[in-house]
Amino acid sequence: MMEKLYLIARIADTRVALRSRAINSVVTVGTPVEVPAAPPHVAGLFALRSRVFTLIDPHVVVGLPAVPVVPGQRVIVVDVAEHGYALLADEIEDVCFIEAPETRVAGKLLPGWARVADAMIEHDGASLLVVDPSHFITLPTLKAA
Amino acid sequence: MVEPQFLGRTGTAMDDLLNDFLAETAEILAEAGGAIVAWEADPADRAQLDAIFRSVHTIKGSSGFLALPRVTALAHAAEDALDQVRRGNRVANAALVTGVLGIIDRLSDLCTALGQKGAEPTGDDRDVIGALSEHKTSDDAPFEVAGVPLRREDDFGAEMQSWRSIRVPLPLLDSVMTGVTDIVLARNEFARMLRESGADLSVIASFDRLSDSIAGMRQSVSQMRMQRIDKLFAPLPRIVRDLAQEMGKKIAFQTSGGEVELDREMMENIRDPLIHIVRNAIDHGVEPLEDRVAAGKDITATISVSARQSGNQIEIEVRDDGRGLSPDTITAKAIASRILTTTEARALGPKEKLDLIFRPGFSTAAKVTSISGRGVGMDIVKANVERIGGVVELRNDEGRGLTILLRVPMTLTIISGLMVRAAGQYFAIPRGAVREILLESGDTVRIDQLGGGELATVRGEQFPLLRLENILGRERDDSDDSDDRALVIVRPGQGQSYALSVAAIHDHEELVIKPAAPMIMATGLYAGTTLPDNGRPVLLLDVQGLLAIAAIDASEAGRSHDRMAEAEAEAAAARNAVQLLLFRDMNHRVRGVRLSVIERVEEVPASALFESAGRVQAQIGDDIFPVHAAVLPGGEGTLKLLRLYDGQSVLCYPIAEVIDIVRLPDVVQPSAAPGLIAGVVLVGGGPVELIDPFWLMEQYAAGTPVSALRQPLCRLADDHDGWGDNFLAPILRSAGYRVISSDDTLGETPDVLLYLTETSAADSDADSEVPVIRLRTSVAATGPDDDTVYRYDRQALLDALQRRVGDVA
Repeated sequence: MMEKLYLIARIADTRVALRSRAINSVVTVGTPVEVPAAPPHVAGLFALRSRVFTLIDPHVVVGLPAVPVVPGQRVIVVDVAEHGYALLADEIEDVCFIEAPETRVAGKLLPGWARVADAMIEHDGASLLVVDPSHFITLPTLKAA
Repeated sequence: MVEPQFLGRTGTAMDDLLNDFLAETAEILAEAGGAIVAWEADPADRAQLDAIFRSVHTIKGSSGFLALPRVTALAHAAEDALDQVRRGNRVANAALVTGVLGIIDRLSDLCTALGQKGAEPTGDDRDVIGALSEHKTSDDAPFEVAGVPLRREDDFGAEMQSWRSIRVPLPLLDSVMTGVTDIVLARNEFARMLRESGADLSVIASFDRLSDSIAGMRQSVSQMRMQRIDKLFAPLPRIVRDLAQEMGKKIAFQTSGGEVELDREMMENIRDPLIHIVRNAIDHGVEPLEDRVAAGKDITATISVSARQSGNQIEIEVRDDGRGLSPDTITAKAIASRILTTTEARALGPKEKLDLIFRPGFSTAAKVTSISGRGVGMDIVKANVERIGGVVELRNDEGRGLTILLRVPMTLTIISGLMVRAAGQYFAIPRGAVREILLESGDTVRIDQLGGGELATVRGEQFPLLRLENILGRERDDSDDSDDRALVIVRPGQGQSYALSVAAIHDHEELVIKPAAPMIMATGLYAGTTLPDNGRPVLLLDVQGLLAIAAIDASEAGRSHDRMAEAEAEAAAARNAVQLLLFRDMNHRVRGVRLSVIERVEEVPASALFESAGRVQAQIGDDIFPVHAAVLPGGEGTLKLLRLYDGQSVLCYPIAEVIDIVRLPDVVQPSAAPGLIAGVVLVGGGPVELIDPFWLMEQYAAGTPVSALRQPLCRLADDHDGWGDNFLAPILRSAGYRVISSDDTLGETPDVLLYLTETSAADSDADSEVPVIRLRTSVAATGPDDDTVYRYDRQALLDALQRRVGDVA
């Protein structure tokens, strides 16, 4: 049943579904510590139970301007390649079982979203993108502007 | 070396014995492989031959005890063949070496099987044993396993076990380390709570004691996990030899820096990447023989692997003199493998093109060979190294060779870090790389703007100046007081140093360092993250990486040591308050010593101290220094030593702990007679005994006594309060002057007159030819024409003396 369990959240101004097995936990974050000279999607560092997590701003990953972190904001904690990351979420809606199958992404997405979306899924009369949090960790290779 | 599966099974005593045997044999075999290759290169090397012989002999002995007939027979065959060579009955040739290597391989296979199954598998070893025998007649000769003598008459009397040690399962060691890490984190948390709660002194004192023992414990644990990098290098000669033979290439292989120590976990993590890089160098880097001839190179290629410690990092360099990387070929391949498009490729610079080899799915080999093309690419190498907080760098010299540099942290564990502030946030600097800390506004520091760059001159020594905010691309925080700005003199590696300007110095703490996420490590600015006791993450600066980002040459070589600048800096130093290092001595008295005479604080094991010729001495590295101690301090664990340095010799002063660095108060209560204690000062309301370094150094100076005749005579005048006699005279005497006070009549004209007052009222000798130096008691000079010297400024005073008198022997 685990594979049917999804976290519904609004990240980067879009409602998405995240497969629950990809997610470590959802927590609130205090004021993060900035990382000067880091790539733009790195929103900072914060500590949780004596581990340091890297905060990722999904807005930047999909090509939107960065949004400042609000203390108390909720984040989605994921582990990628033995490092802990946290995706800033605009809103955490629900954790629920979705019986509907994942379907291929239909229609054209913005390039930023096309890279992070794996599939689509029908939930409560709306289509949601199923995104893989690990895709938010790396930025697409930026062309020398 | 120690394969985990060997350790999985415990239970009976026999299992323990077998586990020990397997762990030991795995180690011996790995080392023997390298030794055999070295011996092949130089068959006359008797020491290598003996070492290999001893290895197989040891295996034979232990296997006989454990009743492992196949292992015993194999080891016996190798021992026999090597013995023939030792006795001169047989010549070492490639066939013999290949035969012995074949046996080593079979032994490794057997040991792996043993570790998994717990019993020796059945099988036939006649093929490898036969390959070793000179005349291939033994195909049907049965091997009398039971009859193999387990001892020879000429066995080595001395066993290899010259040290005492035990084997500990690695998971146990790891859990100890994790435990200590947690203890340190908890200690830090507790320290913060104590500070905030304003606990009373007795609580803090006992907490400090706890803190100290934790620090000692974590150091021992770190050392437990350190291994010589030799172990990592041991299998390489064998790999190179086999591959080179297979590919028909001639390769000279050398390693250096094997004595560098590295955390065991780090070692495990870089083993595969290192082997892969070496394989790549042989397979792709080194050209076929004819190409090398055509390129006018030596037929024998050179591959060298070297390790060196640089600050808190270990650099492992794999250098070959092959064809190097061609950016254009790489780009073409990447396009062909659909890693990037032609348009993207056009936008790439040369360095970015080279970095394409780190992309997943990239393979430089024109055809996939059996050696390197096994699906393991440089992307995996990079990922593995980055996972432990390391960096992979390429230094390409197209046509002439490629150097791949792996930089990994020495340990994932705990370091002592200096916390600094810049741009409104905290950063940590590894304490080991910090040479000195100075206030930027201090008079010892001069900062010059030079063509857009900045240069800091500290007591005549010049350092390129980096401002942390600039490197990080941040603005200065307005709320920072510019008086707090400090210079941290950083020495990232041998022969390099620079001054790092930060907004303020906070304190130093024991920090548990964890690697940061790869994209943060990729900035090159950070060496990891840490959680200090305030619970907010802090980035550990990569002191070497900062240099690279700032693109400055921090090499100390060729920096001018301008005499004038030095004199100026000294004069400036005179106006600056002297800094005092407060410490607790071995008898728990609080004492202080001028910071400037301390070279560094050394932490040594108690066993490094010994008594010789009635004096206590300390061995630090390869040097032996005198220690100021009447008796040998006993006890276990480590000792802290202040290293006093007078420009020529070093004296160690054992202390219990460093307390603080404070400004030396102006009021010094001098002691009655010259001795260890120059006087008493009040620091923070409590008395602190001031150590007289001049007296100390004098006691231990290896002194070449200067002939009295050549010692200039210095006369002290107006010494009303005995200051000159108590303070000044010992300094002057140790500097090679004879000193008389104004009352003494020696019947000899002094070479110089020292007035201890500024007023010229008592200027009775004004008419004489004798040069005069006046000392003033105030720190600041009264004006530009004031040629008096501040009486506590040793260097300025000695310089002035030297100018008046001339060089003292």
